[in-house]
Parts: sequence; structure tokens; C-alpha cells
Amino acid sequence: MEIMGADLVKACACLGAGISMGLGAIGPGVGEGFAAGKACEAIGRNPQEAGLLTRTMLVGQAVSESTGIYSLVISLLLLFVV
Amino acid sequence: MSVGFAAIGAAVGEGYTAGKANEALSFRPNLVGEIMKTMLVGQAVAETAGIFGLVIAMLLLFSPVEGKSILTAWAYLGAGLSMGLSAIGCGIGAGLPAGTACQGIGRQPAVAGQLSTLMLIGSGVAQSTAIYGFLIALLLLYKQLPMEMNLIPAFSMIGAGLCMGFGGIGPGIGEGLAAGEAVSAVARNPLTVGLMTRTMLVGQAVSESTGIYSLVVALLLTLAV
Repeated sequence: MEIMGADLVKACACLGAGISMGLGAIGPGVGEGFAAGKACEAIGRNPQEAGLLTRTMLVGQAVSESTGIYSLVISLLLLFVV
Repeated sequence: MSVGFAAIGAAVGEGYTAGKANEALSFRPNLVGEIMKTMLVGQAVAETAGIFGLVIAMLLLFSPVEGKSILTAWAYLGAGLSMGLSAIGCGIGAGLPAGTACQGIGRQPAVAGQLSTLMLIGSGVAQSTAIYGFLIALLLLYKQLPMEMNLIPAFSMIGAGLCMGFGGIGPGIGEGLAAGEAVSAVARNPLTVGLMTRTMLVGQAVSESTGIYSLVVALLLTLAV
């Protein structure tokens, strides 16, 4: 079967979508886990501040999540727009 | 060609999971006999991802290849990548709370029961991305494929494997970090165990989100393209 140029573009877009979301998930995953771990450690030292620490942890994780969402957007664009 | 690619997939899966097992073992502190039970339980949980990898590798090795489409080779390679790579993260992730639980029991033998419960919950959550990897690998293994070679499904299956494989590493390690710190905090201050379990689970749920994005993209690549 002959392979057309458009097929190659679509095929590479699929591969690129996978690599984008895959690699893009590593950083936020580790970073958010790190934030959660440190929050647990701090609550263990000072349980009175649990509410404040949970709030700070969630804000930090939300910022850390942003690159994961960029990866998701890029891979969805590659899948459905290209 | 099918056999060659399947062997690559199996080798990637098994090689990475074997490396993961060694790495998880290096987290174990050398503590005395009374914590042996916790260590073995923790190791058994960390080993689960390795066993998933082994199952997929066995399935790949003993699948009949006669009369199958050449696309099967790409599906097998994707399955090996998905399972192998995601098992790295979960192996390390499940090893971290097990290590700190051993350390914590060495420090506070009185709360050994609470520590092992928290460790099991934490490493169970850290395993979840390995289970996603296993799911994607099974979907790729048993996908119905057309006979003629076409680049689009071939590359999208490799993409699905890479997506779920790499996407499983980060949340696996991150959830393990959170669980590890929670276990060591409970070992320091056993009264906070309820609060700590809640904080750990909230943190892990947020950390899981990128793993779920990867799962969604991998499912789209496997089923929709």
C-alpha cells in the first residue's frame, strides 16, 4: 500500500500527542507529590496549622498542574486539529 | 518482524521492571528482624508492578503470531512500552512509603499497625498508574487490527504506549513521595494519623490527575484513532 503524505502527518501527530502527554505528565506528577509530601511533613510537626497548610498545598499543586494541562491541550490539538 | 518487535516490547517491559525492583530494594534500610514483616509486605506491594510487567511480557512472548497483521508488531511494542515504563514509577513510588514505614517502625514500634495500614493505603494509590498501564497494554494486545499496513494506527499505538508509560512514571513517584512523608510524619506524631491520611489522599488525588490525562489520551489513541 502506498503511504500518502497526509497519512504521515496524521501518524506523526498521533505519536507526538502520545509523547507530549506522556512526558508532560512526569513533571507535575512528581512535583505535586513532593508538595503533598512536604505538607504532610509540616502538618506532622504542627497539626494546628493543618487548614492553612492544606490550602497552601492545593494552591502550589494547582500551579504545578498547569504544565500538565498545557501538555493535555497540545496533545488534544494534535489529535483532533492536525 | 512481529516476533522481533514483540521481543523488544517484552525486553523493555521486563528490563525496566527488573531495574525498578533493584531500585526499590535500595530504598530498604537495613533494620533488624522485628520489621521484617512490614518490609516483606511493602516489597510485595512494590513487586506488584513488576508482576504486571511479567504477565504482559509472558502474554507477548507466547502470543501466536501466524496470520496476524503486521500492525500487531506495533501494538505489541506499544503494550510493552506502556507496561514497562509505567511500572518504573509505581515500583519506585511503592518502595518509598515501604522504606519510611520500616524506618518509622524502627523509631516507634508501638504504632506499627497504624504505620503499615497507612503504608498499604499510600502504596496502593501509587500503584494505580501501573494498573492504567496494564489496562492500556491489554487493550493494545487484544485490539482487532486490519491486515494492511497503515502508518496512522501503527504510530498511534506506539504513541498510546509511550503516553501511558511515561505518564505513569510521574504520578507513581509523586504519590509515593506523598505517602512516604505521611508515613514518616505519623511515626513522629502518631496522634495525627486521621488528619495525615486525609491530607495524603487529597495530595495524591491531585497528583493522580496527570496520570488520568495520560490515560484519557492513551484511550483516545487506542480506541478512537
